[in-house]
Amino acid sequence: MATRPIGSGAEAELERIREGVPHGRFPAHVFNDQEIFDVEQERVFAKAWCFLAHESEIPNRGDYVTRYIANNNLIVARAESGEIHASLNMCRHRGNMMCKSEMGNASHFRCSYHGWVYKNSGELVGVPYMKEGYEGRLDKRDWGLIKVRTETYAGLVFGTLDPNAPPLDEYLGGFQFYLDLYLKQGSSGSEVHGPPDHWVTETDWKIAAENFSGDGYHTPVAHQFGFNLGYFASSGSTHSQGWAASIPGRGHGIGLGHTPGFPPFAGFPEELADEMRRSLSPEQVEVFSQTRTAVGTVFPNLSFLMQPFSIVPGEAGVRFVTMRLYHPIGPGRTEMYSWCLVPKDASEEYKREAYRAYTLAFAQAGTFEQDDLENWARVTRSAGSNMARDVEFPYVMGMDSVPDPDFPGPGHVVKPYVNDSNFRNLWSRWSDYMTGRE
Amino acid sequence: MSEAVPTPQAENPDDGEVLHYPRDGGNEGPIVIANEFVDVVVRKVETRNGMRLEIYSPRRNACVRFDAVALDCLSYQEPEFITSLLARNPGP
Ligand code: FES
Ligand SMILES: [Fe+2]
Repeated sequence: MATRPIGSGAEAELERIREGVPHGRFPAHVFNDQEIFDVEQERVFAKAWCFLAHESEIPNRGDYVTRYIANNNLIVARAESGEIHASLNMCRHRGNMMCKSEMGNASHFRCSYHGWVYKNSGELVGVPYMKEGYEGRLDKRDWGLIKVRTETYAGLVFGTLDPNAPPLDEYLGGFQFYLDLYLKQGSSGSEVHGPPDHWVTETDWKIAAENFSGDGYHTPVAHQFGFNLGYFASSGSTHSQGWAASIPGRGHGIGLGHTPGFPPFAGFPEELADEMRRSLSPEQVEVFSQTRTAVGTVFPNLSFLMQPFSIVPGEAGVRFVTMRLYHPIGPGRTEMYSWCLVPKDASEEYKREAYRAYTLAFAQAGTFEQDDLENWARVTRSAGSNMARDVEFPYVMGMDSVPDPDFPGPGHVVKPYVNDSNFRNLWSRWSDYMTGRE
Repeated sequence: MSEAVPTPQAENPDDGEVLHYPRDGGNEGPIVIANEFVDVVVRKVETRNGMRLEIYSPRRNACVRFDAVALDCLSYQEPEFITSLLARNPGP
């Protein structure tokens, strides 16, 4: 997809932003700015690998969901052959939307305008009045749905609009080590527990992406009721402990919060913890067994969080995983998708409990979700004000931290958990894309 | 395969029957199979000497009754077979 040129002033401004990041400076206005939004659509979202769906959302032949990359609505479908295909949700005849439902099952899609029929893999198969109308001038092979390149990792289906994007493995660049905590809970992996919660929110996608790339700093304050009422097993005095891990040059980052004296794999059912000890690598076991909270972002806008959450305050926490996608729909406006991921092989009882913990904490009306969104909506509003044009934020925390030599996981890993190093990495990657250095 | 639209050979039910099938027919049918593109009604039909499965499309007002041999034959078709039928007659 061709990118439109922007003015030289805007290019220079983006260069200046990029230069500021390693020095711990990043401007406020980018979190609510029409021009930044427009450039992001073309230079970030049309170039990066963007998350589309979890394979368990479309387990059977004919299952499909519709999702977005930038402002492009895509159909992600499992074909009759079992393969996954992503196609632009636009009829090639006159551009009608093919699938109006966000999820469904169909071997073939039939356009509601003039009736063209496509296989769910995107090939055009049927054209009404073909002989009478087209007199042999239309070759169906030329008019299939527009294809989008996809690749998967451990159940995650990603798509990219850039034919020259590197393979997904290279793009993830070692972050898979950390993603496995969420995606390989047990030997059969993880699955979604129902369709995502899906809503529109008055925040910028970048604020959410940054927070989930490891903002342990906000937790004791923004979520203080969770702490004080006994929902969350951490304390203000030790909350800074843990690690910030990021993949330099890739933008991905994860915060790994640690509570001293926390039993290994606390909050997991015993069988599941044993299973993870067997199926994960010894290095992963060493890292994850000590992790209370794991909160990470895959650049640009896919995030995960795992932590124990007490359904009854003061009682032992139940581990849950939320996976969330921040789909930008305007400057300072985001469509949220939030899933609960559960271990496929776990008991129905644990899946139910994990889903309850997720719902209480991070579904649309979850307590933690409400805490965050209250703050993020106001950050967004401030960022859009005129005076904020010239305001920068400090990203200097942990600037001089040296990598933890004993940490067995990949990437740039520093202590403590409370750290800006993941954010500098995130914004430097973002700036690379914004200045055409992807 | 020809692109011509073949005239349905099956019997079409009266309009009254179109609109007034029971919604909950249990396993015996009628069963409504629908997605966002189309809906059909499936039911068992007793003939004097045996059984057929009726597939009825209310919007198209077309109807076909398959006996066991015909259904058995459908059970081992490739998905491509349906694609080729849709290629032949996608129209109204
Ligand atoms: S727009 Fe789809 S068939 Fe005409
Ligand atoms: Fe939060």
